[in-house]
Amino acid sequence: MRFWQKYPAVGLASARSNLAYLGEVTSRVIFLGIILYIFLRLWKVTFTQAAAQQLGGFTLEQMLWYLAVTESIMLSAPRVAQLVDEDVRTGALSVQLIRPMSYPLYRLWTTLGERLVRFLVNSAVAAAVVCLLVGPIKWSLPGLLIFVLSLPLAFALDFLGNFLVGLGAFWLEDTTGLLLIYSRVTMIMGGMLIPLELLPDAIRTAFQTLPFASMVYGPAKLFVHPDVPTLLDILARQSVAVLVFALVIAAVYRLAMRRVFANGG
Amino acid sequence: MKRISSYLALAASYFQLNLKAQLEYRGAFLSQALAMFLNNIAWVAFWGLFFHRFPVLRGWTMHDFITLWAVVAAGFGLAHSVFGNALLLPSLIARGQLDAWLLYPRAALPHLLLGRMSATACGDAAFGYLVYLAVVKPDLQHFLLFTAFTVSAAMAFVGFSVLTGSLSFYLGNAEALSEQWRFAMITFSTYPATLFEGTVKLLLYTLIPAAFVGYLPVEALRSLSAADAALAVTGSAAILVLGACVFHLGLTRYESGNLMEMRG
Repeated sequence: MRFWQKYPAVGLASARSNLAYLGEVTSRVIFLGIILYIFLRLWKVTFTQAAAQQLGGFTLEQMLWYLAVTESIMLSAPRVAQLVDEDVRTGALSVQLIRPMSYPLYRLWTTLGERLVRFLVNSAVAAAVVCLLVGPIKWSLPGLLIFVLSLPLAFALDFLGNFLVGLGAFWLEDTTGLLLIYSRVTMIMGGMLIPLELLPDAIRTAFQTLPFASMVYGPAKLFVHPDVPTLLDILARQSVAVLVFALVIAAVYRLAMRRVFANGG
Repeated sequence: MKRISSYLALAASYFQLNLKAQLEYRGAFLSQALAMFLNNIAWVAFWGLFFHRFPVLRGWTMHDFITLWAVVAAGFGLAHSVFGNALLLPSLIARGQLDAWLLYPRAALPHLLLGRMSATACGDAAFGYLVYLAVVKPDLQHFLLFTAFTVSAAMAFVGFSVLTGSLSFYLGNAEALSEQWRFAMITFSTYPATLFEGTVKLLLYTLIPAAFVGYLPVEALRSLSAADAALAVTGSAAILVLGACVFHLGLTRYESGNLMEMRG
């Protein structure tokens, strides 16, 4: 099998496998509904107190849709770091290494397949909840396409961050702490809870230059305010971040492989 | 009185034993506790950014939100660093792993709950007290009241975990349901009840009793209100009693998993 057939096939198998557990995935979205309801109340009160129609260029409806997208992105993240950690700790990695495929690329494609299913389910639930709470916002097919185009690299970037955390298992006793910190950094600096426009100028500039904004804020902003120049800017930022992360992972992975000792049996 | 002091001594012994067990994997324990501490700091940072833009939210300031996070985190931390098995109750029941605890002369529920310590809960507890002391800088009266509320919040969290976990006696494996319900409780407890209206506000005092662990203690600390304080403590105690009743009723339906287990 060639490269461009092999890995997409892995991704497709992963997506299919997750579709088999759709009921289980759906049952876990109650949390998403609760979060969106709380955000609705928080921002409704904030808009009322500020006596404003718009805050940072967002109406209340747009704010809720923005948060629905950020939550759908964040809650769709598969357990990459934990899986890599388990592979390293249990020795399952040695089995993965003898397969005729690259371990990082295998994990990337299984993650993308799983994430696609999770994201679609989360988005459907979030859209239903937000429609119920504040109604729909104006959207168009080109706008939706712009949003969709910003997602693959955002997901790939998040995978790379998680994979790097998982590789920490080669040196650390436990990576759950590191993962928690990574997810919180993504949450705050990625603009999951508050659009970056509402932050003080210096902080906004700093957060926008970091890769986390390209994972969460960028796609969510494009959903609410789709435009081609912003898409190109986000794609450029995502590409640079993916390249940097990939180089770092390549270096760390090479070091990690020197620590693998496999005994036959 | 003798019985209470005996159980307090048991709790102290278990706490020491569990801490020693955690410290066997010192790196893992410290990293998990530190990560939870930093996780809470991240939330406070979010509220810092929010309040920088909108300084007052229905009469609540950044100061009040920090107090809210401190009391909820310290309460949760205290609850599960001492009674860590409360979080695992649904799976222990569903897998029929209560046998070992039922054989001891001690009452099953408190003994079972004391059997484990959650490492992340230690980070929560440290965060709550440190942030309250360092950021809010309370006087002695407020600090004593705060400490009392963390104990009452801990009672509510333990009671709620027992209540939701005991559903496994009735529904089979209620792990997912219990987890979602607990998430709802934790999430709602970190927002002031003044944000909500109507039925949802009623839920915060009944089905998801988050108001007793976060909102009411903060209101009591803000205005030194005896009524709010009494309501917070009474509500928390009621959750604990209800949880214990549901557990003991459910225990009559318990089926052993016939598992062989070693306990050190």
